[in-house]
Amino acid sequence: MTAEIKLTNAGVASAEMQAMRRRALRRLRINRGITYAIAISLAVWIILPIYLIGSMALTTPAGVRGFPKAIFPFTDISLDTMSFFLQSQGILRGIVNSIVVALITLVLSTLIAAPAGYAISRYVFRGRDFYRLAILGVRAFPVIVLAVPLAVLFMRMGLFDKTYSVALMHTALTLPTTVLVIGSVFASIPYELEEAATVHGATALQAFRRVVVPLALPGIAAAAIFTFVMSWNEVFAASILTLENRTLPAQVLNALNKSSPEYQFAGGFFMLIPSLIFIFFIRRYLFNMWGQVTK
Amino acid sequence: MKRKKRNWTPYILLAPSLIYLAVFFAWPMVRSLSLAFYKDDAQLSLRAEASFTSPVVGAIPQAATVTILDTQGNHLETAVDSGTITEVWYRISSSGADGAAAEGWILSDRVRVDEESGGVPTLGRIRAVRRSGADPQSSVYVQPGSSHGEVAARLDAQTEVNILELVTLEVWYQVSGTDREGQTIEGWAQSAFITRGEQDPSSGFIKKGDTGEWTLDFIRAMVADRFFMSALTTTLLLTVITIPIQFVVALVMALVIQARLKGNTLFLYLFAIPLGVSELAVGIVFYLLFTESGYINSFLMGLGLIDQSITFISIQTRHWIIIAIVLAEVWRATSIVMVILVSGLQAVPTELLEAAELYGAGLWQRVRHVILPLLKPSIQVALILRTILALQVFAVVMAISGGDIVTTLSRETYRWYSEEIRNPNMAAAYAGLIMLISIFTAIFYLRAVRTQEEAAIT
Repeated sequence: MTAEIKLTNAGVASAEMQAMRRRALRRLRINRGITYAIAISLAVWIILPIYLIGSMALTTPAGVRGFPKAIFPFTDISLDTMSFFLQSQGILRGIVNSIVVALITLVLSTLIAAPAGYAISRYVFRGRDFYRLAILGVRAFPVIVLAVPLAVLFMRMGLFDKTYSVALMHTALTLPTTVLVIGSVFASIPYELEEAATVHGATALQAFRRVVVPLALPGIAAAAIFTFVMSWNEVFAASILTLENRTLPAQVLNALNKSSPEYQFAGGFFMLIPSLIFIFFIRRYLFNMWGQVTK
Repeated sequence: MKRKKRNWTPYILLAPSLIYLAVFFAWPMVRSLSLAFYKDDAQLSLRAEASFTSPVVGAIPQAATVTILDTQGNHLETAVDSGTITEVWYRISSSGADGAAAEGWILSDRVRVDEESGGVPTLGRIRAVRRSGADPQSSVYVQPGSSHGEVAARLDAQTEVNILELVTLEVWYQVSGTDREGQTIEGWAQSAFITRGEQDPSSGFIKKGDTGEWTLDFIRAMVADRFFMSALTTTLLLTVITIPIQFVVALVMALVIQARLKGNTLFLYLFAIPLGVSELAVGIVFYLLFTESGYINSFLMGLGLIDQSITFISIQTRHWIIIAIVLAEVWRATSIVMVILVSGLQAVPTELLEAAELYGAGLWQRVRHVILPLLKPSIQVALILRTILALQVFAVVMAISGGDIVTTLSRETYRWYSEEIRNPNMAAAYAGLIMLISIFTAIFYLRAVRTQEEAAIT
């Protein structure tokens, strides 16, 4: 049909057609240009703050205090500000505590979430939808409500101000996200692969270990890294649950009002770096979770 | 989905997460409510006699004044805490006024110790009674603890006594006061719960109670708190301003991603960066922009628009602090909305969008009539999630305003349970308010979307 029309019209309206096509193409190009402009300005909006704090953190203390600041910083790169921050009281300890808390959280959260994620993606059972809804509810629940009663309980049990008690709390906070992400990872592995393995003589457990686990491992690792980042960033519960054994954000928050600009900017930058790296590695998986949730 | 076996495996797999969330999620939630509404030490129960085995005769509310009628020393029944008042009694022997040997117990206040061996008093003298009109002699009792017991002997002042033994007793007071119903009751209570008047030893007040009760006291105290209204209005204001901006920006980001430009994955990564960035770090970054020697001032000065720095962060410029917080929140939390919308868009069939474009629908028409309706479930999830997170905004506020000029509900929760004050009840009251608002907004969003759908069907 279309070919016929094209043929009959070809001679008569070819000039007109070409003009139309050119106009359409131009409009497409303009649209594309506008989209690029929007995309780039959004990217600048995201990068600019990171660039600015980076340039503050990597300059001399004098540069931090200087005014007016250069719009194109990085004029005098120096590690003085960073090393001043790292040598400040409680910072090294805070970093160690943060890493310990985040690692315990990562291990606990992944160990508990992996079976649950497998269950919700592979089985049909009574209460499955309710469980998913409940998990999502927990994910959205105000964290702040949990911190105070847990602090009171930990105080009574002598668990207050311990790194592992912060990790226990962080596990509760990260568990829902980890369950949903791991669930989506398992859901993305076709069950037919497992079935094929059993057909070829593997037991269910072997099929799981030899087929599913290797395929799921990168996704689970991504979920674990995200858990680490969430714990590394968490500041409210960590501040409520600790006094001496502060995590890095809790330490920086506590010192905020009494500290110099060098300390603040270097601290902000230092907390920011791991997230940049980790998010880069797991960027592919960020979308898995939410695709599944809204279904 | 795939395995349709009916077995227990899924439940076993879910069990650890359920147990964990019950312990570290459901329990604290319930406990938080009880902290906000239950006062542990609301009333002090009085007993017929100075003993825990004795029946309770009534209860006096905390902070009520009482008359102290009598005191008695009891053998310590509970571990001594900081509030426990104790008295020491000596078992003494001496030759009495009539020359006969006397032996019995006397309150250590009545004896001046002359000799000690290894910190234990061994020899002393009965003190003189100073008050005029008082009994010039001191009684020695058969049993330690009470000045109403059987008297074993009476000794003159300055009588030499051998101290044979000593015992530390916990003091109980017999008090009389008014209970909630306005009735006067009389009974015994441990001294740890009562503060005795320094001027007038016969009066005192109930320092703390030993029985709890449900109360609205903490809620009232919260509402009356000087930061309360400011915290509530600021939290709601920030939520109402931030969320629409975030949704517009996130939708634009999602459409840009949907357009599949060259370098799409790079843009996706850049837009997703804030997802992993610490709230506190973002607060510090935007503080850096807005300080007097910050980048905005530097920039304006570089352009020659101003001669001297503008003060953005001060008590007089609360609106600038709000703007800074909104910008920081938009920067930080738009990503999560973007991620949810992009995943939602991926589920929208491209044919639909192409068809709309073919029929000549402009961008706005496509967004309004095709994309938004199809994204409704995603938008609902994002809206609930973002609102609840926005109600908890904390570290950004602390970093930008120092937490006093502009305050939010979460900041007040922190104030009431940071290192200076540890009042879990007030902190729980504020946290409970955040929870309440969160639940109401979630229900509101769910209902609003549903009623729209129902309206569309009918």
